[in-house]
Amino acid sequence: MSDENRRTATERIKHFLLQVIDLTALGFLEPVVRLIYGEEPRVQIRKIGRFVAVPILAFLCFVGIWAAWAPHHKTKAGEVPTPSVVSEAYTTILTFSEREDSKEEAYLLSEAERVPLLQQAEAQLLKARTTAQAADEAVAHAQEADTASKKQLTERISEQLKTHKSTYKQERKTRENALKTELGTLSSNESIARVAAFREWKSKQTRLQKSMKEDLARIRAQVNPKVQTALAQQTSCAEEVQYLSSYCDILSKSNKESKLAAIDAEILALQNSMKQADTKNRYKQADKILVLHERRKKVEASSYAKASTLPMQIIRSIACVFAGFLIGTVIAVPIGVCCGLSSTFMAAVTPFIALFKPVSPIVWLPILLIIVGGFIPDPETHWLIQWLWDAPLIGELKINPAFLASALTVAMCSLWATMVNAALGVASVDEDHLNVAKVLRLGFCARLFKIILPSSLPLIFAGMRISLGVGWMVLIAAELLASSEGIGKFVWDQFNNGASDSFAKMFVVVFVVGFVGLILDRIMIIFQRLVSFEGSVAAI
Amino acid sequence: MSLLTLEHVNKGFGPAANRYEVLHDINLSVEENEFVAIIGFSGSGKSTLMSLLAGLTQPDSGTMRLRGEIVNKPGPELGIMFQNYSLLPWLSVYENVEIAVRQVFPKMEKGERADYIRHYTSMVGLDNAEWKKPSELSGGMRQRLSLARTLSMKPDILLLDEPLSALDAITRSSLQDEIIRIWNDDKKTVVMITNDVDEAALMADRIVPLTLGPAATLASDFPVTLDRPRDRTTLNYNDTFKTLRNDVSQFMMSLSDEAQTETNDTYILPDIQPKDFTQHTVLSRAHS
Repeated sequence: MSDENRRTATERIKHFLLQVIDLTALGFLEPVVRLIYGEEPRVQIRKIGRFVAVPILAFLCFVGIWAAWAPHHKTKAGEVPTPSVVSEAYTTILTFSEREDSKEEAYLLSEAERVPLLQQAEAQLLKARTTAQAADEAVAHAQEADTASKKQLTERISEQLKTHKSTYKQERKTRENALKTELGTLSSNESIARVAAFREWKSKQTRLQKSMKEDLARIRAQVNPKVQTALAQQTSCAEEVQYLSSYCDILSKSNKESKLAAIDAEILALQNSMKQADTKNRYKQADKILVLHERRKKVEASSYAKASTLPMQIIRSIACVFAGFLIGTVIAVPIGVCCGLSSTFMAAVTPFIALFKPVSPIVWLPILLIIVGGFIPDPETHWLIQWLWDAPLIGELKINPAFLASALTVAMCSLWATMVNAALGVASVDEDHLNVAKVLRLGFCARLFKIILPSSLPLIFAGMRISLGVGWMVLIAAELLASSEGIGKFVWDQFNNGASDSFAKMFVVVFVVGFVGLILDRIMIIFQRLVSFEGSVAAI
Repeated sequence: MSLLTLEHVNKGFGPAANRYEVLHDINLSVEENEFVAIIGFSGSGKSTLMSLLAGLTQPDSGTMRLRGEIVNKPGPELGIMFQNYSLLPWLSVYENVEIAVRQVFPKMEKGERADYIRHYTSMVGLDNAEWKKPSELSGGMRQRLSLARTLSMKPDILLLDEPLSALDAITRSSLQDEIIRIWNDDKKTVVMITNDVDEAALMADRIVPLTLGPAATLASDFPVTLDRPRDRTTLNYNDTFKTLRNDVSQFMMSLSDEAQTETNDTYILPDIQPKDFTQHTVLSRAHS
């Protein structure tokens, strides 16, 4: 009996898992679950081979080709980064963001919390300084060795070049003089031939010299991998030292509490001295105290001025795309539904859809930046921006006009798919369902909300899924152009930055953008499946 | 007075210059508690007639009256059960009935309404599938649900538009019995459109043939005098049933013959004779 119970329980878990897989469109997991339950193992293994192993293999092939090809293409920004360089860049990005997070945390720590941390950090700093010194020395060593080896290589060639130059100079003169005297005895045709031969000889000598110079340049320009690793080590050590010293600074005197304590001490000292001061000084000191009070207020409200990190920018981008998507949906669905309900309205709206749908985000953005700028001339004092900054969750995002313009660009570019699909969905409601409404004598509202909208929801959500995908693509371009803090701006900063790893960091962004887009699409698939009543939704 | 009457009803489609008349001079009166079967070929205008009866389309001329009052729009009193179920696929079995009940009886109390809905879902044997969506139901179950929804509106007249034509033979006969039982229990008035003579003879009090289109009209009716309850297993040996079935079939065949002779097409048939294989086998056996 208990055995049977257990079986039904596991069956139920299996059924639940399969349902979740179906809902989230993660179809490749289905054979895995079925295999675990021992259902037709041979069939499942074949399916796993096809739907799990083949994609992984294909991706590995891609990485392999990438790794093999990348070093062969030289660009202004260095070689095309290989997968390993890109993954290193990813770690760098993460480390930077972790360090910024810890600094932010340190800024708000209380006395009791920060003292032990400070001791620890100072010890680390000491260690880091010694390693940094060692790294500096290693770089010096490596460079010395490199120059020495290069010198050995170049010495011979430059010696040859030098001798060749001097001998060439002398020989040219003697040959030229000999030729000049000879020319008097020869016919004009012969003289031309002689001169031509001389000229050829000269150019051959200069070519020789040029190739020697090129050899020298090539040897000097050769990058020694040892020097390169030493330099990379040096940079990372220097970064760590810089981080630790500023971390220590924030833990000690730049900490919020310490700053406040320092101001308080100053105020107290001034108040004490005021007691003994004469009338004239009293006025000055009272004024000073007031200024100090004002500064204290500012410090109290302050937070650590954090540098923008990629995780933060990703969150801001996602918030921005959802803001734009929401605005777009709110506009598109009612208009689309009206289009579906009334062919007259549809006729009125069609020219706008046809005209504005193909407009590129790159055109919308500058226009919207100016329009938003017109509404919000000074973001620091505008009520909307202030309200957004004070709002509980989104306050962290520091929404500014550039963010709003980016979101509106996303809305302008993405709302068309939802609008057209909503119109199509409403217009193609099954005639039978409308007959049901007629027989039941449903009023307009009941017909709209009980028959027409539920029946067109699957198509509306299909449109919204397309919209969100389009919006995500548009957003990255919009942020890049609007300098709105986000993934797009990260790419633009890297492009302008030109550090040794910025090219690799842009590659990291490719994967980040792709991954976030994939997650967004999955979310929309789930919604789409929840409102669909017939068949399943394609996952690609 | 008849419950439902159609007087000189005409219906056509297309512009005046190129008009296609589907129904011409339809006259029909249905008495209270009567079960009328209208039988016709496919394409003869059966569905147009059903739309007219349900008030979903209006006649071009002539009138339709329900209890003496002219009908010019659909409503719950004309309870139509559509050929392809027309269930709302996003609602469960219970909700599909609920949407009708809420609309027709808005003043019903919450608890009372739940009992009322359950009464109809159990009447058609769907009380165990209340939370299933129509896509999870079989064809027969869907048709039952459609029937439950229509009945829950307490219509004055139940209009069945080829209700069983999409079902397999076994489901079909069980649903026939069910419809007869419900009609008998509730004493409903039923107009059913069908293309099956047996079905009409089994279920109806009166069979009205619809002539071939264009300009189809109702021919004189065949009353079904068989006693109820009718048993489908013994019916095939019943002489009245056989005569009736033959009469109706003959009449329908004559309609289609007429239609064929009207076209004046004569087909030249190939001159072939059937070969007698039995003779041959006997011979070959004799040889061996």
